[in-house]
Amino acid sequence: MPDAGLGAGRGPVLRFLDDLRAAEAAGATVFEAWAAVCAADALRGGLRTIAEREAGNATLLADRLGELGVPCEAAVRDSLRFAALARFGAAEVSDDDKLGLLLARYDDDHAVGRPIARVLDELDPDLETREILRLVAAGEQATIAWLRAYRGQG
Amino acid sequence: MLRQEAGRERPPVAALLDEFQAAERAGADAVRRWIAVCHEPRLRGGLRVIEARDRGHAALAMARLRALGAPATAVVGHELAALCSLLGASGISDRSKLAALLARFPDGAHDPLAGIADQLAGDDETRALLETIADDERASLAWLRGIHQVLETEVTCRTRD
Repeated sequence: MPDAGLGAGRGPVLRFLDDLRAAEAAGATVFEAWAAVCAADALRGGLRTIAEREAGNATLLADRLGELGVPCEAAVRDSLRFAALARFGAAEVSDDDKLGLLLARYDDDHAVGRPIARVLDELDPDLETREILRLVAAGEQATIAWLRAYRGQG
Repeated sequence: MLRQEAGRERPPVAALLDEFQAAERAGADAVRRWIAVCHEPRLRGGLRVIEARDRGHAALAMARLRALGAPATAVVGHELAALCSLLGASGISDRSKLAALLARFPDGAHDPLAGIADQLAGDDETRALLETIADDERASLAWLRGIHQVLETEVTCRTRD
């Protein structure tokens, strides 16, 4: 089993990657559900790309974990996932409320990428995973920046 | 992130999406072949994300084409096909491939999809789709420039030593 040179720090880093994979997979389903009920053309177009981006991130991380010999075990709690799907997949909840709820989690556009940025240094021996994560973080920031800009135009 | 050659007559939305999906698919396939022969782990990591993003963009454009009731018939032009062939080839250095790819984007160009939104007045969904795709393309381009710089610097240092 390749250990990617992570040594003693392997456990927490790999757990982070698996948690992130699970979160991205869950996020993809939530954004898909939102896009399915979104009546605003411009927002719907963006949500479709964002859902695809999240799903792609989940697949990339799952593939990398598989190469590192690590099973994908993490899962977002059902209660949390169902609540998010119920809220963001509800046509009767306004887009503005959904945007407000999501954006309230991040003080600024970079906040969403900070947990990933903190792990990058620990991945120094595993340069392939590090660069995957660097671009995943850029995608996360782009998602929040676009949604914030969209809301600002409204 | 590879667009068809510029300079054609301004296409309607469906033609634009069709050309875009063909270019993204060809780009993703080329990057996949590059990854298979790339031994530089940093580059391989970023290329994997770029391949996944490009494949996702092609799928999004295809889905939008279907929603508009338009067929997907575009094929990539000679210039792009030649670049894709080079990127996927073995026996060509990663630095040469990066240089060839980045040569499509002159210094100071940060947005491979610049100007496309202007062609989409009246179709907000497609415009937003491509706006957010452009965010991915900008990130990919910035990352490619960064890793190219890193690899060039490392070669320079090794040569000096």
